[in-house]
Amino acid sequence: MAPVLQSSQPWVEKYRPKQVKDVAHQDEVVRVLTNTLETTNCPHMLFYGPPGTGKTTTALAIAHQLFGPELYKSRVLELNASDDRGINVVRTKIKDFAAVAVGSGHRQGGYPCPPYKIIILDEADSMTEDAQNALRRTMETYSKVTRFFFICNYISRIIEPLASRCAKFRFKPLSEEIMSSRILHICKEEELNLDSEALSTLSSISQGDLRRAITYLQGAARLFGSIISSKDLISVSGVVPQHVVQALFAACKSGDFDSANKEVNNVIAEGYPVSQMLYQLFDVVVEADISDEQKARICKRLAEADKCLVDGADEYLQLLDVASNAMRALCNMPEEFPHES
Amino acid sequence: MLWVDKYRPKTLDNLIVHNDVAQNLKKLVTEQDCPHLLFYGPPGSGKKTLIMAILRQMFGPSADKVKVENKTWKIDAGTRTIDLELTTLSSTHHMELNPGDAGFQDRYIVQEIIKEMAKNRPIDTKGKKGFRVLVLNEVDRLSREAQHSLRRTMEKYSASCRLILCCNSSSKVTEAVRSRCLNIRINAPTEEQITKVLEFIAKKEGLQLPSGFATRIAEKSNRSLRRAILSFETCRVQQYPFTNNQAMPPMDWEEYVSEIASDIMKEQSPKRLFQVRGKLYELLINCIPPEIILKRLLLELLKKLDAELKHEVCHWAAYYEHRMRLGQKAIFHIEAFVAKFMSIYKAFLIATFG
Amino acid sequence: MSKRSTIVVSSSEDEDKDGSFNSKRGYSKCKSRRKNPSGAKKARISGSRPRLCRDSSVFDEMRLFCEEFGEGLTGFKVSAGSSRCGGKELWVDKYKPRSLEELAVHKKKVEEVTVWFEKRLRTSREETCNLLVITGQAGVGKSATIHAIASHLGARLCEWNMPIPTIWQEHLHNTNSGIRYTSKLDEFESFVERMRKYGIIPPSFAGESKSPVILLIDDLPVTNGNASYRRLRNCLQLLAQSTQIPTAILITDYGKADSADNIATARCLEELQLSLENAGACKIAFNPITSNSIKKTLSKICRQEQCGVTADQIDLIARSSGGDIRHAITSLQYFCLKPDPKLSLSFSEPARTYSKEKSDELNPLDDGFSLPFGRDETLSLFHALGKFLHNKRESENAIAPGQEAFLVSERLTRLPLKMDAPERVLCQAHVQARPVADFLHENVLDFMSEEAIDDASAVASYLSDSDFLLAAHRGMFATSYEAGNVLQSAAASVAARGVLFGNSHPLASRWHAIRRPKLWQVEQSSLHNKCEILGQRLVALSTSNISVIATEYIPMFKWLRYGASGGFEDYQALIQGNETELDDNDSMILDEKENEISDDEIEDW
Repeated sequence: MAPVLQSSQPWVEKYRPKQVKDVAHQDEVVRVLTNTLETTNCPHMLFYGPPGTGKTTTALAIAHQLFGPELYKSRVLELNASDDRGINVVRTKIKDFAAVAVGSGHRQGGYPCPPYKIIILDEADSMTEDAQNALRRTMETYSKVTRFFFICNYISRIIEPLASRCAKFRFKPLSEEIMSSRILHICKEEELNLDSEALSTLSSISQGDLRRAITYLQGAARLFGSIISSKDLISVSGVVPQHVVQALFAACKSGDFDSANKEVNNVIAEGYPVSQMLYQLFDVVVEADISDEQKARICKRLAEADKCLVDGADEYLQLLDVASNAMRALCNMPEEFPHES
Repeated sequence: MLWVDKYRPKTLDNLIVHNDVAQNLKKLVTEQDCPHLLFYGPPGSGKKTLIMAILRQMFGPSADKVKVENKTWKIDAGTRTIDLELTTLSSTHHMELNPGDAGFQDRYIVQEIIKEMAKNRPIDTKGKKGFRVLVLNEVDRLSREAQHSLRRTMEKYSASCRLILCCNSSSKVTEAVRSRCLNIRINAPTEEQITKVLEFIAKKEGLQLPSGFATRIAEKSNRSLRRAILSFETCRVQQYPFTNNQAMPPMDWEEYVSEIASDIMKEQSPKRLFQVRGKLYELLINCIPPEIILKRLLLELLKKLDAELKHEVCHWAAYYEHRMRLGQKAIFHIEAFVAKFMSIYKAFLIATFG
Repeated sequence: MSKRSTIVVSSSEDEDKDGSFNSKRGYSKCKSRRKNPSGAKKARISGSRPRLCRDSSVFDEMRLFCEEFGEGLTGFKVSAGSSRCGGKELWVDKYKPRSLEELAVHKKKVEEVTVWFEKRLRTSREETCNLLVITGQAGVGKSATIHAIASHLGARLCEWNMPIPTIWQEHLHNTNSGIRYTSKLDEFESFVERMRKYGIIPPSFAGESKSPVILLIDDLPVTNGNASYRRLRNCLQLLAQSTQIPTAILITDYGKADSADNIATARCLEELQLSLENAGACKIAFNPITSNSIKKTLSKICRQEQCGVTADQIDLIARSSGGDIRHAITSLQYFCLKPDPKLSLSFSEPARTYSKEKSDELNPLDDGFSLPFGRDETLSLFHALGKFLHNKRESENAIAPGQEAFLVSERLTRLPLKMDAPERVLCQAHVQARPVADFLHENVLDFMSEEAIDDASAVASYLSDSDFLLAAHRGMFATSYEAGNVLQSAAASVAARGVLFGNSHPLASRWHAIRRPKLWQVEQSSLHNKCEILGQRLVALSTSNISVIATEYIPMFKWLRYGASGGFEDYQALIQGNETELDDNDSMILDEKENEISDDEIEDW
């Protein structure tokens, strides 16, 4: 990071735990890894779990603790999804890195410095199957001098031959207390004033994702200064205010198409992200006091709409259709259209 | 000069609309700590205006000295080199472009430009900031791959360049990009705010504004400020002094769509469908985006329908619009929607009136 | 491939060799050719320097081939009679029409062309445009007609043939030997340039012949991409304006486009024709030759060759040829191929299999599709489309209701189709899915009954499905070719079957022209407009996206400048007008800025 922009260093980086033992809430993982550090014997590893639970942090911490800042550059290769990781990179870059021999396993400057290199593949589940297959060969060939750390959200997207070669660690979503304590720690460091309402809002909108929580916090701090209310957090996070969701749901309940249409128009004009809206609508529907069948009908369409949005469909039309569908479910109108031929 | 440009706010002070956001942004920028920004909100809400104002706030008047050029990038994409041409708007401190125009090659353009900008980083002379700003419009039109590469480059070059992203819907921007930016939602101005702006312009132009006239324009503008100011100016050209019952000059394509809608309502037959197709072609030739045609058509049809039918029609509109995104030829899908509507409507008429 | 065992001279040969060549020609079996007046001599002018060669027109193709070959290997003498074919020659060449009477082309067309040439040759050449464009699909006798007319009028024929494309290896070879590669387009351009400057003054002919000259340009150079296409167009227009001698340009029609490639070419050619016509050229379109005249020609050949082909077979060949006489004759020759004891040494294997195949094929003559000949491609696209659109069905369900495996509701039942399975028809038509979908989309509404909007809706939704499948194909193309193929056929099948199924009340059979999809044109002009807008994005608008410009700014400009009268077309001019104005304003902005600080106006929203 250039010194000019020191202040803009993301807090996510700034407050990233530097040591494995500082990693929050992943006790089991930490225990095993601490052990690893002591013996400096380390298998290939596969970290998986939801985002923001400390996977990358752990991997980086291990690497740092093993090699220290001096050797880090030459011993560790970090690749993540945005680097080109096609099959060619696997064949050349990774291989080249893996092929270079390493020095002896002497301790240097208090770091264990085991005689192997580490390749960290962040977001490994976005690699193509071909690339993963190519990697498998490389892993075998250079297993003496390299260790691979795979990091992914969905273990099912890692091909079995790779997964079976690794020690697997599952990272749990962070509990609210852990999040709160971490957040409060940062607030103290950054001299922020966060009331308890804002704190609970923050942990609810970030859904166990600490990175997201910290990002929101930093965003709010930048935009609104040191006193942060829950409203500020909501506005930064892109979460739709609850009253807007409720208004749409009420309009659907009323059975009047035009008023629902008006609400939808309003959501669009206010610029709320519709995918987020669907998510929150889902929560409202699930909580609502309606029959299971009605819930099922609405949720089915919610799921479809979400997929359509991913495909790039128009937000207004999808939300309108969701609203119309919900209305028909809520008012017990038939599911089939009467005039369909 | 068009009023839209003439009365575009130049600074972050004293805005009629989005003043609170502007104040926060000003604070953000003056504290010399500017993260990547992502502006999202419906069209005509003032995103572009705010961005321009921020740039001016950051760099002073030199941000205004922009030149438009068609730049060509030679991109080495492994096995072949690709030539890409894009229109850019740049000053010494920033560059603005629509990467979506590059079509399938968009991911190369993002990487390449940022790399280039990072290289040609302005030298730190006293008081000058050592980074440039890249304004990317319509990031929601970028492909997944492009957004992916955007995210990496954002991290890699964050010391030398700042990104300001601008899009209509943030759901189409990947979480990875969103989480690396400060997200700023720009909502469409309310009708009252639009009315205020129009009154402000009228005062500046020295126009007599009958009471309620501005409100009427605001109502018709669909909460788009740009739209409102544009139609205000056309009204001025059409007839001045204003009268309260003066007709708003409609957008020709919108009239055309409403014509199509009434065609459809009048007769439902393959022959009519064929005529409608001809009209749709006309719109497409004139570059009206198909999804806008479809949305407008739905709007016009909803106006005329019984509540009973509305659900069904809006379902099919959503269905075919989604299809259209996935398909290649928009006309197939718009036409399928029209045909579907005709079929439904005819069945409805028969059921109701025998 | 070859003619009699004559020696064809390579182009570097000159006059006296030519003489010997002529004398050799005396031995030719076909006497009738000798009757041709000397006008059959022709000059071929090719690329860098004019090569002149006197030859009877029948030699054309062969000689040309050899000449090109000779050009590649300078000084090489090539003997054309390749040992393999011995004394045989292609019937197409052997029975090439020698006189107007022999032409299978419609009398009227021949007369039209003749009259045109007569007029041009007689009158002064100053005023009128001396360009004649003849179009028609391959093998309808375009060049034959010109040749015949030239000999009829006693005119000398100068011909610019489409040079044989240089093959890559050949090109490499040439570069090694120091020969520069010139594109065919370049050659054509320089040819036209020379034509314009000097006319045709072939020195070797100077004293010898006072006969009038006709210039024949047989097929235009292939153009790829816009730039070269534009060059060709300019070149042709130049030619149209300047040519002093009557010139005939032959353009082979690919009108019935069947593949993406051809679609593009066809569009280009169409535009070219238009531009030529605008330049004053006269256009005559040759229709496919009727099967009757083909039959006549074929029977004549049969008589002369004394091969026993029944009238039925001739009829079949004629019908399946699709109006392409050249193809019909070739088919006939192939058909009459008998295991020849002399040939059996050299290629006994294929010959035997051919004959076996043939005997198999002769039996099921009724089944037109299994025959090895038949120009089915272009014809069948329309054929197939016609089948789908007309949607002919049996009048009643052949299968007794009890036998059906499962019952479908009445709404969904359809009578059996009076045709092969749609997939089979598609397969026979050799077409890609995209054009099928486009054509069906364009035409299907014409074939629906007045009231059947439900059908229209069903069909439209199937076509939408098909388009969706096609687009999915596009995305997968890179990763899996196989999957792409399956999707393609699925899409075509959905489109075809959708049309068949959806159109449950097809109109009683009546004649409808099948239109070319207007969609293609629409797409093009839309793209063009888009580029225009993008290209002219003004300073103020440069940051706006295209949809905003199209939907908000452009209509608004219209109101501002043109009032209600302004059509959509005006906007380009408008933007341009606006651009200059904005430029002025630009400087204003800068000026204003100085003031701004002082008067501190708040111009905010």
